[in-house]
Amino acid sequence: MALHDLIDHYRRVDSPIHRLRTGPKFTAALVVVAVAVAVPLPAGWPWLGLLAAALVIAAGFSQLPPSFLVRRLLLLEPFVLGAAVLALFRPHGLSVFVSLLARSTLCLLAMILLSATTPFASLLRTIRDIGVPKILVSVLALMYRYLFVMIDEADRMRRARSSRTFKAGRARSWGASSGIIGQLFVRSAGRAERVYGAMCARGWR
Amino acid sequence: MTPAIEVRNLRFSYHDQKTALDGVSFSVAEGECVALVGPNGAGKSTLLQHLNGLLPEKFGPDPAVAIFGRPVSVESLEETHRKVGFLFQDSDDQLFCPTVYEDVAFGPQQFGGDGREISRIVRESLAKVGLEGFADRIPHHLSAGEKQRVCLAGILACEPSILVLDEPTSDLDPRSKRGLVALLKSLPVTKVIASHDLELVVQLCPRTILLDGGRVVADGATMRLLADEELMLRHGLEKPHSLQHLHPHGGG
Repeated sequence: MALHDLIDHYRRVDSPIHRLRTGPKFTAALVVVAVAVAVPLPAGWPWLGLLAAALVIAAGFSQLPPSFLVRRLLLLEPFVLGAAVLALFRPHGLSVFVSLLARSTLCLLAMILLSATTPFASLLRTIRDIGVPKILVSVLALMYRYLFVMIDEADRMRRARSSRTFKAGRARSWGASSGIIGQLFVRSAGRAERVYGAMCARGWR
Repeated sequence: MTPAIEVRNLRFSYHDQKTALDGVSFSVAEGECVALVGPNGAGKSTLLQHLNGLLPEKFGPDPAVAIFGRPVSVESLEETHRKVGFLFQDSDDQLFCPTVYEDVAFGPQQFGGDGREISRIVRESLAKVGLEGFADRIPHHLSAGEKQRVCLAGILACEPSILVLDEPTSDLDPRSKRGLVALLKSLPVTKVIASHDLELVVQLCPRTILLDGGRVVADGATMRLLADEELMLRHGLEKPHSLQHLHPHGGG
């Protein structure tokens, strides 16, 4: 259940930001991302400062615990940093690095706020309404639905393993984990077939 | 009268060459409720999947299954899906949408229908299974019994004339099971139920088909078949408690 909460916990909190309609909220987040990405630097620093202030205020209203936001940010930041670090090897790399870091942190914050305060189903409806191809929306919907089923399945397998594991050891537990991951692939493939059958049975073509 | 389901000499083997169905024949009249029993690996699920065209993947020239007189083939597949509602054993396989509403609406949407009509159907279907107010719930927050009832609502929303249920009680606690029995009794459609739960069979199905090794071993009145202790034991089943004092050939 722990992982469920990590993904879905704060969607059920009630705050002014949670109550905002999904369409406008989605648009606002997109605007933040567009501005953060497109504004020229160094002239645009005040703009980025303004965005940062707006996001912090929004975060305050959203009643999300700051520790949650920071943890999320830290979880996603390495991906960005990986790309930004390369800039350090260029002439004037430091300023490029700093601007990349600032821009991406703002984008991430906007997306974290959006996703943590909006029911996923409602986000899906919004992106479908603005014309994202149906097949893509279906894939996202299925991913979201079966993520939890898979987490439960992995949890059960891990528990079953550890109930029969008598000697703990790092190497051994890595070995067991790789087995679980392999099993998950096999089971998911089987499930995919059954889900497809169920979709066909209700008229999917 | 045309039977609701007509199966004639159905043979099927999976890719691994193991024969799953070896010449199965039976027919089910409209409105009948028939149980399909047999040991693990008898071919029950395989047979059920033939009833609404999920199997075979490629249809031969001479279809062995007919629904209301119409052979199940590539051309009639959509009609078959519509007429035959299929309840899968694992609710998680069948509940594939992000919310309960969308899941129940899935069938009607596929078969075409306008928004207001669909939301009326969803509301009515959820009411039929006793889940009013569940429309916005997320499937992974539901209990096993609730998940299964949502699955049933999703099937009822397609307004099928035949219900095919694969082990409907395997995940349910006794209370949910009683609810399911009452619900199924209230639905006036043809039903085929595969189950190891012989008490359920006794409560719901006047007729039972016993399948073993891909063949129909016995086909007849539930009370007579299930009370035959020797027959039950020979095919990996057991006489249900409620029939313990009933002699197979009357008397009791």
